[in-house]
Amino acid sequence: MNPRRLYRRFASEVLVLPGRTTVLAVCLVLLILPLFHRHPYTLRVLSLTFIFAIFAASWDLLSGFVGQLSLGHAIFFGVAAYTSALLNLQAGLPPLVTIPAGALVAVLMGLVVGIPCLRLKGQYLSLATMGFPIILTGLVYLFSDLTGGELGVSGLARLGPTRLSEYYIALVLVLGLGLIMWKITDSKVGLVFHAIREDEITARASGINTPLYKLLAFCLSGFFAGISGGLYSHFMRVAGPSTLSVLTSFQPVIWTIFGGVASIYGAIAGTFVLYPLMEFLRVAPELRTLIFAALVVLVLRFMPEGLTPWFIDRVESECPRCKEHNAVTRRTCRVCGAPLGRPSAPGAGPFQPGKGGRVAG
Amino acid sequence: MLTDILITTLINASVYAMLATGFSLIFGVARIINLAHTAFYMLAGYFIFSFTTVLGLGLLPAMLLSIALVVVIAVLSYRILIDPMREHEAAVLIITVALAMVFQELMLVFYGGHFRSVPQLVSGYVTVLGVRVSSQYVVTIGALVAILAAVWLVLMKTRLGLAIRATAQDREIANVMGMDVSLISTVTMAIASAQAAAAGALVAPLFILEPRMWLYPLTIVLAIVVLGGIGSLKGSIIASAIIALSETLVTFLLPSGAFLKGAFSLGVMIVVLLIRPEGLFGVSFEGER
Amino acid sequence: MVTPPEASNLLEVRGLTVCYDTAMLLNNVSLSVGRGELVGLVGPNGAGKTTLLRTVAGLVRWEKQSKQGTRAGNITIAGEVRFDGERIDSLPPHVIARRGLVLCPERRRPFTELTVADNLMAGAYLQKDRRALRETLDMVHQMFPVLKQRARQISGTLSGGEQQMLAIGRALMTRPRLLCVDEPSTGLSPLVKKELFAKISEINRRGITVLLVEQDTALTLSVCARSYVLSHSRIVASGARQDLLADQTVHRSYLGLQSP
Repeated sequence: MNPRRLYRRFASEVLVLPGRTTVLAVCLVLLILPLFHRHPYTLRVLSLTFIFAIFAASWDLLSGFVGQLSLGHAIFFGVAAYTSALLNLQAGLPPLVTIPAGALVAVLMGLVVGIPCLRLKGQYLSLATMGFPIILTGLVYLFSDLTGGELGVSGLARLGPTRLSEYYIALVLVLGLGLIMWKITDSKVGLVFHAIREDEITARASGINTPLYKLLAFCLSGFFAGISGGLYSHFMRVAGPSTLSVLTSFQPVIWTIFGGVASIYGAIAGTFVLYPLMEFLRVAPELRTLIFAALVVLVLRFMPEGLTPWFIDRVESECPRCKEHNAVTRRTCRVCGAPLGRPSAPGAGPFQPGKGGRVAG
Repeated sequence: MLTDILITTLINASVYAMLATGFSLIFGVARIINLAHTAFYMLAGYFIFSFTTVLGLGLLPAMLLSIALVVVIAVLSYRILIDPMREHEAAVLIITVALAMVFQELMLVFYGGHFRSVPQLVSGYVTVLGVRVSSQYVVTIGALVAILAAVWLVLMKTRLGLAIRATAQDREIANVMGMDVSLISTVTMAIASAQAAAAGALVAPLFILEPRMWLYPLTIVLAIVVLGGIGSLKGSIIASAIIALSETLVTFLLPSGAFLKGAFSLGVMIVVLLIRPEGLFGVSFEGER
Repeated sequence: MVTPPEASNLLEVRGLTVCYDTAMLLNNVSLSVGRGELVGLVGPNGAGKTTLLRTVAGLVRWEKQSKQGTRAGNITIAGEVRFDGERIDSLPPHVIARRGLVLCPERRRPFTELTVADNLMAGAYLQKDRRALRETLDMVHQMFPVLKQRARQISGTLSGGEQQMLAIGRALMTRPRLLCVDEPSTGLSPLVKKELFAKISEINRRGITVLLVEQDTALTLSVCARSYVLSHSRIVASGARQDLLADQTVHRSYLGLQSP
């Protein structure tokens, strides 16, 4: 493909939609940011943001897409953090080995959590998953010789030699893994996940082996959450019981729902906004959590579907005929050429029967 | 030791039962998982603390006043923040967590993270079956059981109770039958938060107050509700007894049991769910609701 | 056409249009039900019958309000609904029920985990007079004896026919002035269906106005003196039984009855 065709393809796929252009712009800014600003504190906050964004996206994969609302996602994060930490300290393995190993243990944990959860539905499932990290926390305290109890395991090898290298490792991973997760949800497997969320019995009656796919979702989600757990322990150089706490379980839920559920990019965007915000609020340490929680409540009250759907609704419109998205400035659809009416404000103007109406059959 | 186990189990079981039935009620009627439920329990304790120490009120008026105040706060947050969002289940979940965090942080700002305590309602000891028991324990257990029984009676024997149960089954049909479901949901929220506040008020003299005291009961209440079967009051009460007993036994009989009590209770829950996926007393009908 | 004089009409629907997003479920529908009448509304699947009843009972408007701001689609309602001369199209469902317009919903929808007796009492929620309540209960029990025998059974475990009787009994407990029954015959055997339709006629003879929505055209036309035919969101025909049966177009295209 010659460069001009490549550019045209790129322009017709990315630049036509303000949403995708924004994503591209954010990625570029993050990639070149250290050229202008490399304060270690900024790099540290952003690296943690990237690590947690992977965690939030993994929650979205399981809960947003497959509808298995997990309130105990810390189990994958924590088990991988501890595994990486112990392998690094006890066996002296480098992060390049311990992080994938931690992710594999998290995949196994996906089976441990997933198999009992196959029998559970809806709220029972969410509330039951909440129990697993708490049980593991109990075990961590019980075997405190190995796990260090309250203090955790500390003194791990660093993720990279410098803050800057750690920044780029985390950034490349969040972009790469985010893209992989997005591709998974866009594939045939993603379609099956959707079907299971909407109606599991019907999906099963259509010949889909739903237990297998649900386990696959638990394992995939566990894998990505495990990677972020391993990254976290090596970045912080400590793995403690806080990685298994109820709050750690709630965090990806808060970020993802804030950003917009069932989209992967929503989870990442939510983390990108909320985590640095939380850090920024350190200027008022006493009121930090208070302001944070109050902001989340207020924002959700007015953007109930989350940040990204709200944003996309502002900059893009859906073609009434072919359901493709268009920039809000266009008058006709870029794919099928149908005229794009501005969505009428609720209650504005009298209703005209027959206008663009389709008779229900 | 045996009496200690018995008394602790009874206190915990009745507190958990109060919290879990309220949680279950509001879940059934308004279809919201209210993760701020145990925060109301924490708030009631702190209000009593401020009314008694700051304003110098007697303990009993302080208790009643703080329960009323908690109910007002709960109903307002329900009407303003939660009810308008009902169709966005995920957002409601997060709003309730955030609300609990707001309450926790407010208490932290006003009172700091220190442990606080509240004076006892009654002093002295009574002898039950030849064992000396602090009167405060007896009064607490008695009051908790009485309130639970009253809630049960209201639900099972009154017109309001029937409306609450019908709304929990099918909002739309309840509405068509002439029930004002949004009013009924608000009343249910008031009852549920009053239960949580009463539980908090009654145990405040026995426990120590700290702003994070809502988190542990929340996980236990969730476990109890799942264990007993979502929406089943009988199930919630029996599951409270099971969880409270297993917690107490672990704490008293195992070394470093205090760390393990949560893990053990949740383990019990998961084992029961494996055998009965809809909980002990949950009902499941094939097809839609 | 035997349209009754307007002043005596209990229910008057004028130019009702309902859209979900761009799909039009009801297109300028007008109909009326006179006091004491038993009126049928027939039509194929997806014609808009249930939507019509749900709109009249206030449920569509309620759904519109509660779903505002979600991605569930935009609902548009236009037109006028009068009950006993009063505009009810902006009232919430429970107030409409208080006025005496009660819906017996599609798919029966009993309060599954409550007993049969509790279901009936839930229907009697608006009834504050104990004696009147007792009388209504006796009437319902007399009409559907099975509801008395099974009073303590959990209603989710009843059979389909029994659940339908319970749904009608529960609606009767509100002492309605207009009973709107939505597809009572779905999933019932021919014999049970016949029995049920006889009961509905009996309810009408007891002085309760009934709007019966059905797919079983032959049976509906046999009990209703006057009917409307709804198809593709519009009323395409209306009139007395004989007129509808005589009209060949209506016959072929909508009713699917065998030619006499």
